[in-house]
Amino acid sequence: METISYSRFNEDILRNMSPPGRRYYVLLALAFAGVLLGASCWAYQIATGLGSAGINLPVYWGTYLINFVFWVGIAHSGTLISAILYLFRAPWRTAIARSAEAMTVFAVSVAGLFPFIHLGRVWIVYWILPYPNQRNLWPNFQSPLVFDVIAISTYLTVSVLFWFTGLIPDLAVVRDSSTGLRRKIYGFFSLGWLGTHRQWNHYGTAYLLFAALATPLVISVHSVVSWDFALSIVPGWHSTIFAPYFVAGAIHSGLAMVLTLLIPLRRVFKFEHLITLKILENIAKTIIFTGLIVGYAYGVEYFMAQYSGNIAERDTFIWRAVGHYALEFWIMVLFNAVVPLAFFIKKVRTDLRYLFGISILINIGMWYERFVIIVGSAAHQFDPYSWGYYSPTWVEFGIMIGSFSLFFFLFLLFARFIPTISMTEMKETGRHSRRENP
Amino acid sequence: MAHEKKLLGVFAYLDELVNALKFAREKGFTIHTVYSPFPHHGIEEALGLKPSPVRFVTLTGGVLGILTGIALVVYTCVQWKFVVSGKPIIPLVPAVVVGFEFCILFSVLFNFAAMLFKARLPKLHRPEHYDNRFSQDHFGVLVLCPENEREHLSSILKEAGAKDVHEVNA
Repeated sequence: METISYSRFNEDILRNMSPPGRRYYVLLALAFAGVLLGASCWAYQIATGLGSAGINLPVYWGTYLINFVFWVGIAHSGTLISAILYLFRAPWRTAIARSAEAMTVFAVSVAGLFPFIHLGRVWIVYWILPYPNQRNLWPNFQSPLVFDVIAISTYLTVSVLFWFTGLIPDLAVVRDSSTGLRRKIYGFFSLGWLGTHRQWNHYGTAYLLFAALATPLVISVHSVVSWDFALSIVPGWHSTIFAPYFVAGAIHSGLAMVLTLLIPLRRVFKFEHLITLKILENIAKTIIFTGLIVGYAYGVEYFMAQYSGNIAERDTFIWRAVGHYALEFWIMVLFNAVVPLAFFIKKVRTDLRYLFGISILINIGMWYERFVIIVGSAAHQFDPYSWGYYSPTWVEFGIMIGSFSLFFFLFLLFARFIPTISMTEMKETGRHSRRENP
Repeated sequence: MAHEKKLLGVFAYLDELVNALKFAREKGFTIHTVYSPFPHHGIEEALGLKPSPVRFVTLTGGVLGILTGIALVVYTCVQWKFVVSGKPIIPLVPAVVVGFEFCILFSVLFNFAAMLFKARLPKLHRPEHYDNRFSQDHFGVLVLCPENEREHLSSILKEAGAKDVHEVNA
C-alpha cells in the first residue's frame, strides 16, 4: 500500500461521518421496520405462548437456536481479525479491524437475544444466574447450557470493552476536529484522552493483553456452543470433533459476512485506497482455508459414523444426505465446501462481483449448516416412532427477519457515527519523515 | 520547582520528534510529556520508558478469576448434594470450563480498569496547552527547563525541526 500522510487519513476516514444521502436513510428506515417486525412477532409469541412457533415434538430446537449459533459464528471472525491477526502482526488487518470488531459486537448482541426468545417464560430468565434464592437452588454447572450463558456473556463483555478501548484515541480525534455539541459528545466518550506517552504506554500493553485474552476466549466460546450439542447423546451431535468443527465453521461464516459488509462499505465511503483489493483477496484466501477445514469436517463426520458401527449414528447421516432435509444438506455442502474453492482462481478472488456473490452464498450455506445439524439430528433420533419434521411458522420467520434487520440497523448506525477505520492504527503505517512528504 | 519553565515544541514529523527527544535528554533536560497521535516504539525508546505495570494487574485478575469460577461451582454444588447418574457431587471437568471463562472475564475487567487508572482516565479537563493537532497529525513535546536555559532548549528543539516552540503555564 502506498504510504499516506497523517492528515490524509483523518480526512478520508472521517468522511463517513459527514451527513449521508437519502439512500442511507431509506436503508436505515427499512432496517428499523424489520426490527419492529421482529419485535412485534416476539411480543405476539410472549402473549400467546411458545406454541406460536413451529418447534414441537420431536424438534424442540428450531430457527431460534439456528440463528443463535449462526450469529455467534458471525461474531467470531471479527475477533479473529482484530485479535488473532493482531497477535500475528498481519498488517492487512489494520484497515478492516474496526468494522470487523463492530460486526462482532453487534452479532453477539443479536445472538444473545435468541436464548431469551427461545424461552417460554422469558420474564424468569434470571433463574439461570447463579444467585442465592429462597430454596438454595443453584444452576447446574454440569450443564453446557450454563457454560453457554457464562461464555456468551463473557464474550459480549470482552468484545465491547476491546472495541471501546480501540475506539478511545479515535474518538479523541473526532472530538478535536469538531465543535459544539458533537465535540462534547465525542469528548465524553473519549474519556478526555490526550495521547501522552504515558497513556500510550499503558494503552499499548492493555491492548495487546486484550488481544491475547480474546484469542483463547473466541475459541472457547464456539467450543462451548458446540458442546450444547456434543454433550448430549443424540446421534449426529454426540461427537468429539464438534468443537474444532464449529470454530472453523464460525470463522468461515464470519469472514464471508466481513466481505458482505466491507464491499459495499468501501464503495459508499470511497475507501478503495484504504480497504484495498489486496485485503479482500487475503480474506478470500483465509476463506479457502476455513472452507477446506469445514469440508474436511463434513467428510470426517461420515467416516466416523461409518467406522463407529453405531447404527443410529450411521442412519442419521444417511438420512441427512437423502432424507427429508436433503436439499438443505446439499446446499450446505455446495455453498460452504465447494463454492469457496473458486477462490483458488486469482481472477475470481480479485473480482468484487464474485467476492460479494460467493460471500452471500457462504452466508446462506452456513445458515443451512446449522439447520442441518440442529434440525437434522433432532428430527431423527433413536426411536423411529418419534421421528418427525419441523418447519418454521411466520412468527419464527418474522423474528429471523428482525434479527438480520437489527444487525444491519446497528451496523448502519456504526458506519455513520463512529470512525469505521482505526485512524490511529492507520497513521502508524503512514509517512513518518519529512523526506517522504513532498 | 518554582523557577522552572515549560516549553512546548510542536513537530510535524515523527523522526524529527524522536531526534529532539534524544538531544534534549542528552543535554540533561527533563521531558515532561510527549503528545502523539499514535504510539511508536521510537518515542518509547527515546524516553527510555519501562514496560507498563498493567500486565501484573491483568495477571492478578486472571488468577482471581480462575479461583472465583471454580469456587462458585464447588460452593453451589455442596449446597444441595444431588447425585445424578452416580457422578461426583463436585464436577471437576465442568468446573474447568467455568474457571476458564471467569479467568478471561476477570483478566479483561482488571486489564481495562488498570489501563484507565494508570492512564488517568477519564480526564475531565484537558491542560490549557493541549493542541487539537496532537490527535491529528502533529506531535508535541513538553520539556522542563530552568529559567536561564530557556533559549538553549528552544534552539535545540527548533534545530531538530520543531514547527513552533512556545512557553506554557502550569
